[in-house]
Amino acid sequence: MNTYTLPLGPVHVALEEPVYFNLTVEGETVRNVNLTSGHVHRGMEAMAAQRNFVQNATLTERVCSLCSNSHSFTYCMAVENVTGLTIPRRAIFLRTMAEEIKRIASHLFNTAIQAHIIGFKSLFMHTMEVREMVQDLKETVYGNRMNLAQNCIGGVKCDLTPEKFTYILGVLEKVEPAVDELREIFATNSMVIGRTKGLGLLPKADALRLGVVGPVARGSGVAIDVRKNSPYAAFPELKFNMITHDDCCIYSRTRVRLDEIFESIGLVRQCCRMTPEGPTTKHLQRVPVDEACARSEAPRGEVFYFIRTYGTDVPQRLKWRVPSYMNWEALGVMMKDCKVADVALITNSIDPCVSCTER
Amino acid sequence: MTDTLLGIMHMCIFPGGLFALAIGFLFKGIDRRVEARLQRRVGPPLLQPWIDAAKLLTKETMIPKTACRQAFLLAPVFGFTGMAVCAAFIPIAGVFDGLSNMGDLLVIFYLLPIPAIAIMLGGSASSSPFSAIGFSREMLMMLAYETPLLMILLSVAMLVGKSIAGTWGAEFSLLKIVLWQQENGSLGLNPSMIPAFIAYLIFLPGTMGAIPFDIPEAETEIIEGPLLEYGGPLLALFQITSALKTFVVLGLGVALFFPGVISQWWPINLIWFIVKCLVLMLISLTLVKSATGRFRIDQAFRFYITVPMALALCSLILVWVI
Repeated sequence: MNTYTLPLGPVHVALEEPVYFNLTVEGETVRNVNLTSGHVHRGMEAMAAQRNFVQNATLTERVCSLCSNSHSFTYCMAVENVTGLTIPRRAIFLRTMAEEIKRIASHLFNTAIQAHIIGFKSLFMHTMEVREMVQDLKETVYGNRMNLAQNCIGGVKCDLTPEKFTYILGVLEKVEPAVDELREIFATNSMVIGRTKGLGLLPKADALRLGVVGPVARGSGVAIDVRKNSPYAAFPELKFNMITHDDCCIYSRTRVRLDEIFESIGLVRQCCRMTPEGPTTKHLQRVPVDEACARSEAPRGEVFYFIRTYGTDVPQRLKWRVPSYMNWEALGVMMKDCKVADVALITNSIDPCVSCTER
Repeated sequence: MTDTLLGIMHMCIFPGGLFALAIGFLFKGIDRRVEARLQRRVGPPLLQPWIDAAKLLTKETMIPKTACRQAFLLAPVFGFTGMAVCAAFIPIAGVFDGLSNMGDLLVIFYLLPIPAIAIMLGGSASSSPFSAIGFSREMLMMLAYETPLLMILLSVAMLVGKSIAGTWGAEFSLLKIVLWQQENGSLGLNPSMIPAFIAYLIFLPGTMGAIPFDIPEAETEIIEGPLLEYGGPLLALFQITSALKTFVVLGLGVALFFPGVISQWWPINLIWFIVKCLVLMLISLTLVKSATGRFRIDQAFRFYITVPMALALCSLILVWVI
């Protein structure tokens, strides 16, 4: 049979962000995938080298929208590592809490988009409605729906009053049963299962070989999670489980995400309970000539920041690696011999973030 | 001469053409509104299909450089004409007898796939790879849903024919089928025809290209497929065709299974017909659309050649035996 080229992107309705797939298609079967990126290069690493440390916290938060908090969080950790700053305990817990709230919203968003790609509009609306509760929570507590602007060097910007803790716990009371219902739908609805189970396979061996991270790795049975493997912030003191599923398909990745929401809810609850009283920021005193790195678990996987300073208030080099960059390569394995109908679904299953990857 | 003029009137104004378009757009508006409410959205105003079409009609017609010009331009017109003619063959019980009294069921069966063929024609003429995929999907879907339809029509025709002739026979006049049902009770309540009616309900979303069978035009997979390159008046024409088709398939369903009348006065019968069509649409299109996602083409094909096929066959055998 003859093959032909199907251009998917750079502007495609199912992929929210500009990335270009050059698919070699035989009938409806994909034979080869060629990925071209670089459409949204914003020169952020160069910009970071022209701004001072405080300004960079704002800049890094704008790398990505869904995991915005993880970027500024990891950046602040990197700066604190290079300057040897220890932040107050209260700030540690508040940071962790913001991170987990963002994770809940991000996972719900990805799950909703999956329903949208399947064409299941009602499920999409349902999932977005649940996410909206979390968005309201973010807006009420932090004042913003997407960029929380919670992290700053030396601590957090927004201190939470006891009323806000009560409010967060109240919202989580409502979110938890709603997510439980969603988990039930995604696990049992024959339409969803028919479109997701056994598709976009990434065997464990390939997952290890390609070094995928985050829910993609955990959906292939690879137990890696920075929060567990090298705990940072408040995670050493908090109790949670690492979720893994062994089906290696889109279905198992979705299940990892939905199950992780419960762990995150648990983590936020623990943070609400355990946050000690005290100051929330500490001043940055002196910047040495040194280099350091920091890593954290963003909703999509491991975020890695490297910083090199030369004694001024501007970093000499700020370099970061985002999880989507590691997961892109896995698409080649996942899309092998899949149908054209499943391309968007498989792409969504790695929860791609083009704006992170092509900063 | 007057007969010809009257026929053209029926195709252009009532029940084909304008009337069918008004009903089709009204139904599409209601469909979108109800679907939105089921998803806890507000939804567009009922006039939204008119607004969309009006907007598209004012736009420029763009033809891709690589497209086959004539086929690209003619495809929507072809589909529209087919449906406008087909609508005139739908009898509205107690109001209008249909354009022809002989063998019109067969004519409808031939005219019904024309919009799908027009989409295939336009898609293949627009020379886009997405349209090519949409084309092959549309063809597969057509094969899948036309066969059960043929069996449904055949079982209805045989049941009525057998009853009228007293021996073996098939009645292909839709008007006679309607009149027979008015005397002997609706076929939709006839035990041997219930499977065929359910099969017809399953056939509806397939032929209307609604979720879960909007595979040829899957927005998130192949970006509207064959309609990708269309815009402006030509796209409006496709939308109008789709509205006419809504009227035709729902009207056909009502005529085949529930053509009862409730009054001697025609406006009441007309409203009764519209209400029945609306209920049919809400059950088979809107509710299904809100409760499901999209099938993959192989899943949809397998579904159509098993479930509705088995149901229609069941009715056919029951008609044969009883």
